[in-house]
Parts: sequence; structure tokens; C-alpha cells
Amino acid sequence: MASAYYEFYRGSSIGMALTDSLDELITSGAITPQLAMKVLQQFDKSLADTMVKQVKAKTTLKGHLKTYRLCDDVWTFIVKNASFKMEQNEVITTPRIKIIACKNGDAIEAGKK
Amino acid sequence: MSFALPARQVTFGRSNAQALQYQQQQQQNGLALPGGNPYQPQNGLALPGPSPLSNVYQQQQQQQNGIAPTAPKAPSPPPASNAVAGPSSPVPSTPIPLTLEQQHITAVEGIVPTLQNIVATVNLDCRLDLKTIALHARNAEYNPKRFAAVIMRIRDPKTTALIFASGKMVVTGAKSEDDSRLASRKYARIVQKLGFDAKFSEFKIQNIVGSCDVRFPIRLEGLAYSHGQFSSYEPELFPGLIYRMIKPKVVLLIFVSGKIVLTGAKPRRLHPTRTLDVISVLWPTSVSSNANSTASPHQVREEIYTAFNTIYTVLCEFRKP
Repeated sequence: MASAYYEFYRGSSIGMALTDSLDELITSGAITPQLAMKVLQQFDKSLADTMVKQVKAKTTLKGHLKTYRLCDDVWTFIVKNASFKMEQNEVITTPRIKIIACKNGDAIEAGKK
Repeated sequence: MSFALPARQVTFGRSNAQALQYQQQQQQNGLALPGGNPYQPQNGLALPGPSPLSNVYQQQQQQQNGIAPTAPKAPSPPPASNAVAGPSSPVPSTPIPLTLEQQHITAVEGIVPTLQNIVATVNLDCRLDLKTIALHARNAEYNPKRFAAVIMRIRDPKTTALIFASGKMVVTGAKSEDDSRLASRKYARIVQKLGFDAKFSEFKIQNIVGSCDVRFPIRLEGLAYSHGQFSSYEPELFPGLIYRMIKPKVVLLIFVSGKIVLTGAKPRRLHPTRTLDVISVLWPTSVSSNANSTASPHQVREEIYTAFNTIYTVLCEFRKP
């Protein structure tokens, strides 16, 4: 594998926008597909790092843990009757939520050692 | 996300050659286990309905209550504590036939050790790909960097299993022998449903832990002094007295408060597989997968009771004034 980073941020709106722009540049011949790949890999890395270092928002989750799984360093949780308490004391409830938690940034490096 | 499935066959600690040798041994032992498939014909893992066995126990319990004249005096704890077995098994996990001496003591004092944990092992008798199990089963953890087994939990009976690639499994946390066995069967069934040719063989209870409270303080120094041969009491290291009983072979942790932990109870009979062999020779047709286990489980619990009753008389001598 070329990159140690997950590619799931490519599906976010900012990732989609980047992919679209790169597509346009490739079709117009401004950049090569190889360069576009490089850019996307850098995007994966930058976003992962940014999420760790710059995003400070927190939420607390309460609920009934229905099932869980740990495989390949990925935790999966299915929580029933979950309620998220946001920072502004805003509460959001849902009858069922699936949480997929992956290692990020430094944690990936740390895990490899 | 891309999960690169490792092509390697995981052989934790045991080389393939060893594993093979092991399998051969198993075959030589004639362990091809009772009746080919102990599973399907018996309705698999379905909860054991109120079996004739359970009725027997209930009757015995009633009889005991009827006989023991002082029974009413006994406060509720014993039944309540034994009911911990939970709603899972309809089989009441209450006492099994006790010896007279035991009956006397438990009836008079109303103290019966509560089973807190039962550890059992099972051989699923088939190599397992732990990654497949971890990916498809619920409530499973697999982190080969930390521990070479899948850790799986079920809610009913509330237990934890360690499942190894060799097909060996350790089930912990059950509160009764029946629960332990039921839970083990459930785990075996889960593994089976994931497409492995898992069998349910060599179920064996390895340890039983019980606890109780004699409700009076104890002079541990005195006990350690006069029972020096069995006791180890180092209050600076551990506040309890460690009492290694020889017969039955049970270890007791005795605390000043009168609280007692009993551990290390095991079936002391022949090795279950050997028993099975003997039985299969004598009654080739009557061998069922239950043969090895119905024989032993309650035997183990009895060790805890015997140990408690033995120590109880001793403890009375060392009651704090």
C-alpha cells in the first residue's frame, strides 16, 4: 500500500470537490493522473492530521451498546437509544447508530511499532 | 478501506507439524467424539428445557427444606445467591445432594457458598481462522498484536470466551455448571454458523470460584499459627489468610471480616476423555456427548461446599471474641 492513511475523507464534500477539480484538470490536460493521485494521498494525510490536531469539538455519547467488534484496528459499535450531548448542551437522540472508529495519524504510526 | 487478508495460516505458538501430531493423538485417543455429531440430533443449542434432571433437583430441594427443622431460621441468602445463575437456564442451580454432615451445617447456619465464576475449556476440534470469526461474529475482539485469540462475549449466559486458532476455547464467567456448558455450546454454535466444522468435545470445567460470609470476625493469627501447615498469612503483603486445603484440594482466602473466597475446585475424577473411553468400551451404544460431563459437573461444586463446611468448623474456633 502506498499510503498508510484511510481514504474515507475523499467521500466528504471537501474531498468530492477536490476529486472533481482534479478530474477537470486531468481532462483539460493540465496535470497527469499520477499527480492527481499524489494530491489525493496528500489530502488523506493532511485531513487525518488536521482532524487530530485542530478539531477540538467534543460530544458525549450515552446509550446501550448492542454489539461491538474489533478487527484490524477498527472498532465497530452499534449503539441503541443513543443520545449525543453536544458542547452547547444540545442533545440529539437516535434509536440506533453505528460507529466505526479507525486509528488516525500518529496512532497508526504508534500501532506499527 | 482495504483489509488485506493475510494469507498466512495462523499457528500461534504451535508449528504445523506439532498441530498435526496433536491431531493424530486425538484420533488415537478414539476421541472422534460420541456419536459422530453431538450437535444436531440434540436440537443444537436450544435452551435446555426443563429437563427431567431439573425436576429431580427441585424435588430434592423441597425435601431438604422439609427435613431440615431449622430451615426457616435460615435467612434468604442461600437461594437468592444461587439464583444468580440467571434467567438463562431454567435449571435451578441450587444444591445437589449434599452429605449429611454438609446438610447439617448448611441448614443450621444458612450459609451456602455462592458460585462466582466457572472456567471451562472446550475443544472445537477444528482449525479456525480467527480473522473470519472476528469479522463476522458480533461482540468479538481480535488484536493479534496483543493476544492470539478472539475474545467473544454473549449476554446470556453472561460469559466471555477466548477462542484460539487451534480450535481450543476457554469459557469464563458462568455462575453455574449448567450455564458454563450452555454458554460453551452457544459459542460452539456461533463458530459453527460461521462455516467451521466445529464440534463440541472435551468440555471440562477447570476451576470453580465461590464466596461466602460466615458473619463473624476471625482471628487470622491464631488460625495461621495452629494450622501453619496449610496457612500462609502475610498481612503486609495481603490482608487475607491463604489456606491451602488438601482434601478437597481447594484454596481459601479467609479475611478478618469473615468473608471467604474458595477457589481451585476441579473435577477430581478420571480425565473426562478417559472416562468416556471406559464407558464406550462397556456400553458402546449408550455413549452420548453428555457422558463425560453429566458425570462430573456437580462433583466440582461439591468440592466447594465440602471445603466450606470443613473450614467452617475450624473458623468457629477462631471466632473473634
